Parts: sequence; structure tokens; C-alpha cells
Amino acid sequence: MVATTSNTVPVTVLTGYLGAGKTTLLNRILTYEHGKKVAVIVNEFGEVGIDNQLVIDADEEIFEMNNGCICCTVRGDLIRIIGNLMKRRHQFDHLVIETTGLADPAPVIQTFFVDEDMKDKIALDAVVTVVDAKHIQQHWSADEAQEQIAFADVILLNKTDLVSPQELEELESKIKTMNGMAKIYRTQNSELGMDALLGVQAFDLDRALEVDPEFLNEDAHEHDETVKSFAIVESGELDGQKLNDWLSNLLQTKGVDIFRMKGILNIAGEDERFVFQGVHMLLDGKPDRPWKEGETRKNELVFIGRNLDEAELREDFKQCLV
Amino acid sequence: MFGVGTKGKVLFQQQWQGSLTEYVTAVAWPPNGLLAASSAAGEVVVWQDGNLVNLLPASVTSIDCLAFSVDGKFLAAGGQDGKVRVWSTIPTFKQGRKQEQEAKLIASLDNAPSWVDKLAWSPTCNHLAFSLGRYVQIWDADSQTAITTLPFANSSVLDLAWRPNGESIAIAGNGGVKVWSTIDWDDDPYLIDMPSASMVTAWSGDGKYIASGNFDNTITVLEYGSPHPWMMGGFPGKISNLTWSQRGSSNAPLLAASSIEGIAVWKKEADDKDGWNANVLTLHDRKIQALLFHPHSLLLASAADDGWLGLWTKAKQVGQILEGARNGFSCLAWSKDGKRLAAGGQDGELIVWSESKRGKGFG
Repeated sequence: MVATTSNTVPVTVLTGYLGAGKTTLLNRILTYEHGKKVAVIVNEFGEVGIDNQLVIDADEEIFEMNNGCICCTVRGDLIRIIGNLMKRRHQFDHLVIETTGLADPAPVIQTFFVDEDMKDKIALDAVVTVVDAKHIQQHWSADEAQEQIAFADVILLNKTDLVSPQELEELESKIKTMNGMAKIYRTQNSELGMDALLGVQAFDLDRALEVDPEFLNEDAHEHDETVKSFAIVESGELDGQKLNDWLSNLLQTKGVDIFRMKGILNIAGEDERFVFQGVHMLLDGKPDRPWKEGETRKNELVFIGRNLDEAELREDFKQCLV
Repeated sequence: MFGVGTKGKVLFQQQWQGSLTEYVTAVAWPPNGLLAASSAAGEVVVWQDGNLVNLLPASVTSIDCLAFSVDGKFLAAGGQDGKVRVWSTIPTFKQGRKQEQEAKLIASLDNAPSWVDKLAWSPTCNHLAFSLGRYVQIWDADSQTAITTLPFANSSVLDLAWRPNGESIAIAGNGGVKVWSTIDWDDDPYLIDMPSASMVTAWSGDGKYIASGNFDNTITVLEYGSPHPWMMGGFPGKISNLTWSQRGSSNAPLLAASSIEGIAVWKKEADDKDGWNANVLTLHDRKIQALLFHPHSLLLASAADDGWLGLWTKAKQVGQILEGARNGFSCLAWSKDGKRLAAGGQDGELIVWSESKRGKGFG
């Protein structure tokens, strides 16, 4: 999705548990002299203690969307509000959407995948999640806390001053198991350079897989988290039809449990790499650049999800090879 | 850049063009023929004697909705600042002499931080309905008091429409459309249940049918009072506009709808069981922003992002294409007598066309 032409406005989705430091981060973004006009959509107007014309209050209204064979949820208020805001030219250069601490971030992200008006005007930039290094321990049992980490492209491991170095190591390792794709930054007071926050282009298909090679090569961790991420790396060519059947069946049956998915594929008979990404049951893909001469043609897929049967997925994927 | 349609017919010719500083969000005609318009920069203007008179200057927040009361005595505007402003009597001029008093701001209802993005006057009295988050407030301009606040509850209010007889008001949002009776505001609303959200809703001119365009790319049409709605599908995207013709070719008025760049016109078959059948109109290659039937004929106007304003004769074929908004049209309105058409553009253009003498006999 989301061709990054100059006409689209990038949007950052900001998530994090209550008290993790989202508001502090929002205030930094709003006051930082980055020369960008940033509009912020918040859930609780009072939370952002800043007088800014471009802070807009939103209700977290979830619309169910049953569209042919896929069923997903979107944030209806975002469509209304952004549609209204986008009429005025040059009103803002970047949009930040804050979700409340107890919200599933999926409906926000899906809104930009599904809605034809949003797709033309808005380009998802990244999901940024602020994690309270100390208090996250009390929240692991909450689905929202895990999903916020699972969906993230950028994670601020915040309030590092409140935990011991050893606790921090363990926490970071646990988060990496859950989400091997996200860039993790250790922060205090949500202090992080704007370059790491805004303009990340994590959803840009042209940069679909800038995955840490270490993650791709890593062996399975010995953690027993229900939310985890893993990569499939296979050489060889894929049978386009088999791949299609497998993917559509997978998304229909496991879509609810797949949070994020990305991949570069080598499809038989095609000279170009095929790149794709997905959020739950929504998938977006396109042919990318041609394979270079001498480049090893291979397939790389990354899954982040809950209760995913890694062995089965690996085996099923291999069945799609020619 | 006006006048010559695909068949060389001139139905309407440009009478005047002016501009606002930003995207024109709404245009409205009162019964007496003067025009008002609003912009995303927050301007409200009225057009008189070929000049634009500013009722509200540009600011930081947009005005999103604008409407004249049925008797033309009041003009109301709402927008991002949460204020509903009501002006009394637009000044009218005759032979250069002012006949009535200036447009005077008589009320400014503050609802910040809510946005007011939908408003409509009752078709029978001076009651104004406007959206307020998950509520709709009904305000009486004669007594200048709030009459009631209707809780839509399910979601923000996405659209509202008075029944033409003034006896009820339909409010659309997530879960469908709720219809409140104006006779007893405290009565529970009648729910037209939908599996998704209803984004637009419109009553037929005779008040017999209510249509709603839904988030799951369907249209629901209900003969009001009947428990069984018709469902229409097959659209490429959300339904962004719905409009009913004033009179139909046979037993029911025509319903036109737009979805992205496509238009479908539905005609009811004589037998209820045969339902409604659609005729697809293709012209635009970008999103249609406004679609409106002429108030007395089957002439249909469609205004789109592609900078074309199509006039469809008998709601079937392109009779004329009007231009003048380089980066696309945003809104349009027919004057009450149908002799003039106004459209707003995304770069602030405001254009008025009037019926061509030679163009008689359409529709």
C-alpha cells in the first residue's frame, strides 16, 4: 500500500501502556524545532498539556468492516477527522495518532490499509511503542501490552533509570523474542532523536525488509511467550499459485493471530523480487526491483503473532517451493 | 471553459466566478436566490450583486457545514472550532438599494472541543439540527433555545437528514440509522439496523423512502415503515453521496449514488419483488465529491476531483461538462428554482452557472 509520493502525509501511530511516557513523548514532538507542522490526534484532550491548534480530540470508535472474505476493524473517527483535516492544503506535514493505553493498535493501522480515501492521502510511517521498563512487568498478562510491542516498528524502552542493568537486558531480550523487527531504543524521559521517530518509513514497501540480518539467522529462542516473532529464510523459487493458496488460507484461518508480516519472495518465472507486508488478514504486496546479477535469490519472511505454530508454518511454506 | 458538452448542448452557462482563500467546504442557496459559501480556512461569505461579502474571515479552523433555514431568514454554519453561528436575514438588494438589514450574527453556540461537521434545518420550521460528537442538538432559531439533545450513542454522528414532512430526523453512524420523531423527542428512535456504519443518509422528496450508504460498500433502501430493506452492493468503495430525484419516471423517484469515481442510478421496478435496478454512469476518473439531482427534473449533477462537473440529462447521458476548478470540485448546490447551479473548488473557486435559454427542455 501507500505509495510515498510527495502528496501523502506520513502518519505515526503512538502506542504504549498508561503512564509509559507517551504524553512526554508527544510534548517533545510538538515542541521540538524540527521544522515540521505536526498534527496530533489524541483520545483524551486533557492529557496533552499543550496549547496547540493541531491537537485534535478523537473518540476511539471501532467500526467493523466485513468486506467480502475479510473482516477487520477500523477506527471510524479517524476517517472522519482526517478526511476533514486533509481538505486544507499544507495544514500539517506529519500526523501522529495516539491510542489509549488499553487499546489494540490494529484498528488504527488497518484504517490506513483499508480505507480508499486514506490510502491516497496518508502513508503509514511507523508504529512507535513506549514501554515502561519498570511497570511492564505488571502488565504482561494484558493482551494490549503484548500487542503494542508486537505491532511496533520502533520501541522506546523507557524509564531505564528505574531498573537494574540486568533487568533491562532480560527485558530487551524478551521484547526481541516477541518482535524481532522493531528497533529498540533505551530511553529516559522519552528522550529520543526525532530522526528515529518521524520519517522512519517502516511501512514503505520499497524498504520492506530492512530486517536485522542477525534476526534472520537466529535460531529459535527458548522463551515460552505466546506472542513471538520468527523468520523463515529459504532459497529456491516459489510456485505462485501454491503460494497464493497458502497465503489466502493462512490469512483466513490465522489472520486474527498474525499481527505483522513482511517478506521478500522469489517467485518462479519473475525477474523482480516480490515484496509484501500484512496486518492481521490484510495483505499488501507488489513486484519490487529486479534481482541483481550475482545476487542470491531467496525468500525471507517475518511473522509476528500469537500462538503461531512455527514448525507448521515453515513446513507449509516449503511446500510452496517449486 | 464552460458551455460545450459532449453533444454541443449548452444547458448551463457560467454567470460568475469568485474565490475564497481555501478549499470550499459548502455552498448553499436560500429561497430568495443569494448564495453563501464556506471554506476550510474558516471563511463564510455571501454573494450579492456580484460581490462576496465576508461574514466570517479566514482563521485557523475550518467551517465544514452551512445551511439556510427553509424560510431563508437564517443562515447557520458549523466547523472545527465547535461554534455554531447563526445569522439572521441576509441583506437583499434591489436596484442598488438595500432593502433589508445587514446579516446579523444572532447566536454563537460554543461546543468546543467538539467539531460541528453536520448541520441541517428542519424543512418545515426554524429548528436547526447539528452534530456534536455522539449527539445531535436541536436548536430553535425563533426562540433561540436548545430544544433537545438526541443521543446517537453508537459512534460519532456521520450524517443527518430531516424527513421532508418535518416529522422526523434520521441520524447515521455506526450500526445504522436512528430515526427520531419530532412530535415526541423523548420517544425511542426507530432503528434501521446495519452490520456496519452508515456514512450518508437521504430521504426521497416524498418522504416515502430512506436510503443509506454504508461503510461495507453497500446501500440500504427502506420504504419507511416496512421492516424489509433492499440491499444494493457491488460498489468499489464507500458510498460517498446519495441523492433522490424529486419526481420519478414511474412509480418511485430515482436514487443516484457515487462510490469513488463511479455513479449508479437506481430505478424501482413496478413490482416490489423485482426490487431496484441500476444504470451505471461513467465519466469521472477521480473521486466524486458531490452528486445532486436538480430540484424539479431528472437532471443530475456530479462534481469530482478530476475538475469536471457533469450534467446528466434524464440521469442517463452526459448533457454537458462544466469546468473551472483546476484541482477538482468539492461541493455543489442547486438554487431552489433550479435555474442556477453553484459549485465550490478545492483551490477556493466559487462558480455560479445559470440556465441557458437555449438549453430548455432537458430532464
